[in-house]
Amino acid sequence: MTPPDPGPQTVLCGEVRTSVLRTSEALTARTATQLLNLRPDEHVLLSERPNLRVVSPHQLTGVDCRLPALTGGRPRAVGTVAVRAVLTEGRVLQTSAFARLVPGVGSHRKPWGHYLLRPGDIEPLARHQARDVVEGFLASAPLPGGVLNPGSIAERLLDEVLRHQLLDQRAPFKSGRTRLRWTALPAAEGAQASIERFTVAADGLRTVALRTPSADPSAVAALCEDLALHDWLLTTLLALVERSRLGSGDGEAVLAALRPLVDHLLHLWMPGARVPDALAGVWETLERRPGFSRQWQSLVQRIRDQVALRTVPLSRPVMARS
Amino acid sequence: MTEQIFRETTAEPRTQSVPLAHVSLELGHLYMEDFEEGADRLREHFARVKPWADAAHAAAAVMSGGGRARVSTCFLVDDYFTQFSSPRELVPLLLGEAKAAGLEIDYLARESACAQADGVALAAAVEGRLVESPAEGSDGTRPGARETGWLSNGQRSPAAGTAEAMGRVVPWTPPSEAGARRHSIFVDVELWSADPRRTWSCPFLASVWQLARLGLLRHRGNPVLEPRGLRPDQALPETWSALPPLLRLNDSAAPFAAYRTTSVLPSRFLPIEHAVRVILGQVDADSGALRQVAERAAGEGIQVPAEIADRAAYVFYPGP
Repeated sequence: MTPPDPGPQTVLCGEVRTSVLRTSEALTARTATQLLNLRPDEHVLLSERPNLRVVSPHQLTGVDCRLPALTGGRPRAVGTVAVRAVLTEGRVLQTSAFARLVPGVGSHRKPWGHYLLRPGDIEPLARHQARDVVEGFLASAPLPGGVLNPGSIAERLLDEVLRHQLLDQRAPFKSGRTRLRWTALPAAEGAQASIERFTVAADGLRTVALRTPSADPSAVAALCEDLALHDWLLTTLLALVERSRLGSGDGEAVLAALRPLVDHLLHLWMPGARVPDALAGVWETLERRPGFSRQWQSLVQRIRDQVALRTVPLSRPVMARS
Repeated sequence: MTEQIFRETTAEPRTQSVPLAHVSLELGHLYMEDFEEGADRLREHFARVKPWADAAHAAAAVMSGGGRARVSTCFLVDDYFTQFSSPRELVPLLLGEAKAAGLEIDYLARESACAQADGVALAAAVEGRLVESPAEGSDGTRPGARETGWLSNGQRSPAAGTAEAMGRVVPWTPPSEAGARRHSIFVDVELWSADPRRTWSCPFLASVWQLARLGLLRHRGNPVLEPRGLRPDQALPETWSALPPLLRLNDSAAPFAAYRTTSVLPSRFLPIEHAVRVILGQVDADSGALRQVAERAAGEGIQVPAEIADRAAYVFYPGP
């Protein structure tokens, strides 16, 4: 049984969009830095170990809207949502919008400068039940108008970056976008970060409910970006393998379909590479069940086997017979 | 993070600090029309400024808790909207008239430096930091209105005639000021015009000027618009563009940037500075710079208002 809601709690929430970067060649660190230079006076963060990850500076969007709620009233809340773009290995683009709902003081909107000094914080103007906000946020697939919608902020930035003139608009393979919506409630005192659920809904929306020790929103968002990246990789690889008709007889066609996967995707699998220890428990749980890496390894093995089989010269079976 | 063994400095943001005075005192803004009225106009201006400058020093002494107050003075010359005179002619005149009134100008800035200084597009960077105050009902789905080049302190009236093509007439509703006290004072500020190239508006450049004086501007973590002096053997140049964007005129001056600013200006500047307040209230300033100012102030036992717009004080003396 869940304990009664203790009242106002800090809630982190956000949404991640993941897409292939529409460019024939993966971007180098230098070009990636240019692409994600969203604020000319701020640093683009660049990390090359254990893989190339480039993170744009944050942008803020002001909101004055209702909080989602499953059962109770929808309290009005005011603040800013942070959004950033992340590029992994110059190939996979993610935009990630997130905010921290902090128990507010007072029932009136304060001067805007107050909210700007707390970037990424949203203050409800009325009492709210954290659990109810979380359930409302994760349950309603298209959020109703007038209700906090970080996904639309992430979507807008994704479109903006994908239209950038640095990109030749030629993606090496067909793939879809994925949406991952997440929340994080505080973990019990002394407890590690944990994942309460990871759901894939019919319309493709992924929802993740986390419990995290008091961590900074940016770190929890980064964990969710990592989850979304690997979920996208698996989804994309599964779709492409299915489309390649792996078991069919047309060797040339299968090889042509698998080739871009080997070139652009297989080396991207690195779950939890930058996740801090305090949040690492989430990946451990997911690796136990459903076992993201297990599924990935088995797919990769299948692809490698097919490529190896189909590139072996036909003379081999002949020699085996003799 | 104590657990971190491997670190990449390119993966971590960093912000350099700048030295800070208690108060940055602006002794005036000079435009061509003032200059055209001759030295008398300057003399009259400084004579009017002097008592307020003394008051600003006294106030700074209170703020510093009775210790020696660090007050730096500055003066802004327009070379952005119109270029007039030359540094060689104007600067000695300016310094002479200030001195005659008992004032010393520590730093001289060119207005164009607020648009671009040392190869850094400051105004464009500040524009990128505008986060508009959202109207009620803003859930994140609508794009910002930054493309229009206008910034308001509330919600505009619906544009007349916008929906007539659809056969409906939108009734007029009044604009409203966000957080108004009973009645609205609605202000809509033009940030730039594009005719044919982008020209920043005076209030927008004045907002950049305030941020610079408050030590809140950085370019990728590095200080911008740093004061530079002339070498002893270097004469004042003939052209404004040859002059450092922010010229240090007094080697023993307190730092240019400060916890607070005070500007003594004629009353015609009041609408401009109101617009500055509207803009500063919607700037998401460099968080590293904000933190450094707050930590330094706490270390010195000085109170600095949390909101940037509240750090700027003004004296508007009567007259054009």
